[in-house]
Amino acid sequence: MIRIEYLEVQYGRQPPALTIEQLSIKRGECVAIIGPSGAGKSTLLRTIKGYVRPVHGKVEVMGVNLATAGRRDRMRVHRKVGVIYQQFHLARRLTVLQNVLCGRLGQARFWGRLGSLVGWFSVEDRRQAWSAICEVGLRPQVHQRGDTLSGGEQQRVAVARAVAQQPVIILADEPVSSVDPAWAEDLLALLTDVQTHHQATLVMSLHQPQLARRFAHRIIGLRQGRVVLDCDPASLTEVGLKELYRGSDVISLDGTTSRPGTGRTRTA
Amino acid sequence: MMEESLINLTDAPRLMADFLGRMFPPDLSWSLSQKRPFDPPLRIAGAMVAITLQISLLGTAGGMVGALILGFLGAENLTPHWVHHPIKIALALLRSIPVILLAMLFFVAVGLGALPGMLAISIHSIGMLGKLFAEACEEVDPGVWEAMDSAGANWLQKVRYAIWPQVSAQIFSLTLFRLDMNIRESAVLGFVGVAGLGLWIENYRRAIDYQSVATLVIVTMLLVLIVDQISFHIRRRLR
Repeated sequence: MIRIEYLEVQYGRQPPALTIEQLSIKRGECVAIIGPSGAGKSTLLRTIKGYVRPVHGKVEVMGVNLATAGRRDRMRVHRKVGVIYQQFHLARRLTVLQNVLCGRLGQARFWGRLGSLVGWFSVEDRRQAWSAICEVGLRPQVHQRGDTLSGGEQQRVAVARAVAQQPVIILADEPVSSVDPAWAEDLLALLTDVQTHHQATLVMSLHQPQLARRFAHRIIGLRQGRVVLDCDPASLTEVGLKELYRGSDVISLDGTTSRPGTGRTRTA
Repeated sequence: MMEESLINLTDAPRLMADFLGRMFPPDLSWSLSQKRPFDPPLRIAGAMVAITLQISLLGTAGGMVGALILGFLGAENLTPHWVHHPIKIALALLRSIPVILLAMLFFVAVGLGALPGMLAISIHSIGMLGKLFAEACEEVDPGVWEAMDSAGANWLQKVRYAIWPQVSAQIFSLTLFRLDMNIRESAVLGFVGVAGLGLWIENYRRAIDYQSVATLVIVTMLLVLIVDQISFHIRRRLR
C-alpha cells in the first residue's frame, strides 16, 4: 500500500528532514510513528499525503509514485487519503453535519462540486456523512455548531469527516496531543475501530509511546529523519525508548516523563 | 495671499451668519406657483430621496459583488503572488480616484442622470470594500483550509466552506457601513450633475432660493441619520 525507497526530503538548505532507505506498510496495517520532536514524524506523514515532494527517492502510495506521477494520478490518491490533525481544524461556525459533509467535497465530479457551493450534497454524500457521525457516536450533536463541542468531541468530528471520505489510508498527526488525556485512549480506540471496520491502513504519529504500544500493530521510531526502530509492540523496550529519545524529554512506557541529565521524573 | 485670507477670516463669522440667515426659515410650502422657477422642495423631496437611495443601494450592491470577486482573489493566503499582487494594486488605484472624477468620466460615457452616479459609487466601493474583504480573508485560521484540501476540495469549495463562514459577518457589516457613506457621497455627487438630492440643492442654490436649499439639506441630513441608525442596529446584530 505504501512503499518508500531511498527517500530523501529536505527543506531548503537545512540537513535532510527525512532519510529513509526502505519502508513498506501493508494494506490494513495499523502503524504508530514515535520519536522526539523534530524527528520527522509530521514530515513523513505529509510526504505520504503528497504535501511534501522528496528531493529524490520513491514514494509509492496505492501504486502511484507521488514523486513522479502526473496530476491526475496524484489527485486520485489524494482523494483517498484522509488526514486527522492535532488541532482538529474544524469549521467552527458550521454544524457537525456540515463539517462531516465537507469530507465529501472531494468525491464529487463537476456538477456535484458546483452544487456543493450552494450547499447541495447528493443522497449518497448525506448517507455517508450520517453513517460516519453515528459511527463516532455524535448523533445527538449532529446539528450543533463546531465551537460548542469539547476537544474530544471536535476530534471525533474530524474522524467522522475523514471517514466520510471513504479513505483507503488514514493519516493521523498526533491526534490525541490536544485532547484531554482522560479521553485519549477512547479516541484511539475509536480510530482503530474505524480503521478495522473500513479496512483502511492507519498511520498515526504519537507522542506517547505507551499509547502506541497499546493501540498499534507496528511501531516505527524516527530519530533525526531516520528509522531507528521498527518492531511490534511487544518488542518495545525501555532501553530502546531511551535510545530513541536520547537528548530530549523521554516519555516512558509507564507514562512518566524524565528530562535528560537531571535524573528528575514526573508523572504525565 | 496668506494675508488676504487671514483678513477675510475676521469677516467670516458675519458673512456666514448672513448666509445662514437667508436660509431661515426653510421652505415648507406645498402650493405650485407660476412665479417660481422650480417647484417647492417638499414636493420633489420624496422622489429625490428615492433616487438618492436607488443610487446608493445599487451602487453599493454592485460594489459588494465586485469586491467579493476581487477581494477573495486578492487575498494573499488564497491565491498565488501573480494573482493577488496585481489585484491589490488595481484595488488601490480604484480607491484613489476621487468619486467626483469617476462620475464626470461616466457622464461622458453614459450621459447625465442617475446611472453615472451608480457606476461611480460602484467602482469606488469595489476599491474600498475589496481591500477590506481581502484583509478579512487573510486573518482566517489557515488550518481549516488545509483540512478541506486534504479531503480533496477545490479552490471554490475551500473558499465556500473554510473561508466564507469565518468572514461572512464581517463582510456584511463592512458593506452596510459602506452604504452609509455612499448615501452621503450620492448627495455630494449631485453637485456635479448626478440626479438626486444634491442636484436639486445645487439647482435651488443657483436660483438664489436658499430657503429651499435649507429644506433639502435638512431632508438629506434626516436621510443620512435614519440610514445610519438602521445600519448601526443591523451591524450590532451581526457581531
